[in-house]
Amino acid sequence: MNKLKRQSLLAACIVFLLGTLIACSSGNDNNTAQNSGNNSTVENESKQSSQADKEVKLTFFNTSAEVNTVFEELFKKYKELNPHVTIELIPTPIGGAQIEIFQSRLASGNPPTISNLDAGHIYQYRDKFLDLESEKAKYEELTLPGAVDGGVFEGKFLGIPWTAQGYGLLYNTRVVEEAIGGTFDPSTIRTRDDLAALLDKIDAAGNAAPVMIHGADWSLGAHYFALGFSLQSQNIDENIKYWEDLKAGNASLADNAVFNGLMDTFDLLKQYNARKNDPLVANYDLDSADFAKGNAALYFMGDWTWAVIGSMEGRDEEFGILPLPISNNPDDFGNGQVAYSQPKLFAIDNTQSTPEQQQAALEFLEWMLTSEEGQNAIIGEMGLMMPYKNLKAESSNVISKAVAEYVAAGNTIDISIINYFPSDYWAKNGASMQKYLTNMIDRDTFYQEIEAYWQSVK
Amino acid sequence: MKKNKRLNNVGIVLFFFGPALLAFEVVFMIPFFVGLYLTFTNWHIINNDWSFIGFSNYVEVFRDKTFLTQLEFTIWYVLFTVLISNFLAFFIALALTSGVKGERWLRAGYFTPNLIGGIVLGYLWQTLFSRVLPFLGEKYGWAWFETSWLTSTDKAFWALVIATSWQLAGYLMIIYIAGFSGVPKDVLEAASIDGANRWTILRKIVLRLSVPAIVVCIFLSLSRSFLTYDLNLSLTKGGPFGSTELATYHIVQKAFLSNQYAIGQAEAIILFIIVAAVALTQSYLLKKLEVEA
Repeated sequence: MNKLKRQSLLAACIVFLLGTLIACSSGNDNNTAQNSGNNSTVENESKQSSQADKEVKLTFFNTSAEVNTVFEELFKKYKELNPHVTIELIPTPIGGAQIEIFQSRLASGNPPTISNLDAGHIYQYRDKFLDLESEKAKYEELTLPGAVDGGVFEGKFLGIPWTAQGYGLLYNTRVVEEAIGGTFDPSTIRTRDDLAALLDKIDAAGNAAPVMIHGADWSLGAHYFALGFSLQSQNIDENIKYWEDLKAGNASLADNAVFNGLMDTFDLLKQYNARKNDPLVANYDLDSADFAKGNAALYFMGDWTWAVIGSMEGRDEEFGILPLPISNNPDDFGNGQVAYSQPKLFAIDNTQSTPEQQQAALEFLEWMLTSEEGQNAIIGEMGLMMPYKNLKAESSNVISKAVAEYVAAGNTIDISIINYFPSDYWAKNGASMQKYLTNMIDRDTFYQEIEAYWQSVK
Repeated sequence: MKKNKRLNNVGIVLFFFGPALLAFEVVFMIPFFVGLYLTFTNWHIINNDWSFIGFSNYVEVFRDKTFLTQLEFTIWYVLFTVLISNFLAFFIALALTSGVKGERWLRAGYFTPNLIGGIVLGYLWQTLFSRVLPFLGEKYGWAWFETSWLTSTDKAFWALVIATSWQLAGYLMIIYIAGFSGVPKDVLEAASIDGANRWTILRKIVLRLSVPAIVVCIFLSLSRSFLTYDLNLSLTKGGPFGSTELATYHIVQKAFLSNQYAIGQAEAIILFIIVAAVALTQSYLLKKLEVEA
């Protein structure tokens, strides 16, 4: 009896082991089959969805991590209206490993149905997303002129725009007006000398530091330095050409008036920097708070900072935005314009998702972008600017309203060239900017470092 | 009959060993070899191409000057972390086995940093270095602390070493305490009757007899500090200007930020070889110092 028991135990073990091995290997086969054939979905899944017809489960990958909860509320509301659609949020950490999660999802054959990604990432993974050609006309109707173009890559409409951002030199109206002793008209600052005079006045008044430079690599590398590429001309093709020349080693930064002007302005800001003693501390909350409470008069940042200062107690009420002047000619491009972009787009997976899922995703996005609930959430709760017509919600974001005035007047800088940049450009350029900010390297060495980076990019 | 018995043994071995072996294979060996193969290809998530390109990824690694600089940075970091954490742990353990009042509480207290995850711990120290100390430094005029330690490469290096040592010391302390309690009382008594003072006893007896604990502690602290990632991420984020990226952090950045997966993986293999070589050599050499009581 005993022997029999042991033998059967042995047999059970072997069966178990072999079973798991087989399970593993067949799993692998499945995966490779999925990877090789685009659009070929797992049989089980398609069977399920055709059986229940209505039950659709979507996943939503979100890189706007600071508003995870607002999206979750929207999914709940949509579920109440459409009980057959369940949307699951795939959250990412704020400022942390975001695209890594997307990559591992993609590599494991389990991509999210809807992805809220940086435009540049959509361009990188352009083969993986659904071509939204059929939706294009509808969104052109719904959005502000040019908004849809921001989601078109190599002729294909892949990303639905939903938010717009502007950045430049933000100013705290109260502090500036106290320093100049009268009402402040932002259109009086059109040259570097104008800016220098203003900074000097604020400094002399002594109530606040003249300007806050946030020392983080993303701010310095992506927003400050990369602006130089967008300022080459108003025509993005020419900007791309200059960039290509720089990569090929045919252009030099030291000979470029725009970059020299941009860095001259940086030298000026550096001189009046609120964080002069320790420029790289780069505490975003603290820097924003100091600006909002009037400890710094100007702040090189964008309207997204409202997420931090909007709900802050004891802050000032009025803020505005100035263009960053890069020369002493008031008519030069950039001296009267603010940087404006659609940083995030919604894209729909085209590798593993079923047509039902894709359809449901499109319906959900349209609801979110056009319904009052959706617009209230995006504009009211997230505090973002929507590049859409006939909005049903009013923003409390004073800074984005100031940006909207520039947008309405057509005074914007198109920074979409950054969508074509490699994904580490901001960290690499930002590191060189940080060295320059702390006077570790001079202008020549700085340009050499930047040129060396771009020449290493293939 | 004999054959049957052997079969039985195989069954028992499989029963106890199988699940662990399976887990080890699936989560360790298979990924390791796939990873190794990856370094000889030009794989990229976008093209999903697995063409064989030989050793060119490894050539790239040695052309990546930043990696080599950061590897050197890592080695200095490991050296100081291992020395400081073991030195601290050894003397804390010594103090907490000599019969101080509230020993148990103190032991628990020193061990606590280990129960806090690296990320949380990093943020704690980050606040301390970038907010609390500069605030105190300005108030009392301590020039050392007037600027954040995390904004200059040299000070950020020490910030990393201090935070890691602080976390590791409590853990190593427990091992040292266990080691000390293995030192036979009669030997110590005999030594003190022979007129040895405390310092001599420590040097000639306790230290010699706790070599196994020292080997384990140095091995653990070596491998743990070589592979530090979480603390690096939350404390300095590689900054200022990427100068405090430890090797693992640089590898992750290379693979996932710069999208050079195969090169990143090749760097990981090189790091693996270095860690394995260093750790095994040290335990081989130190094992020779072991003595029996």
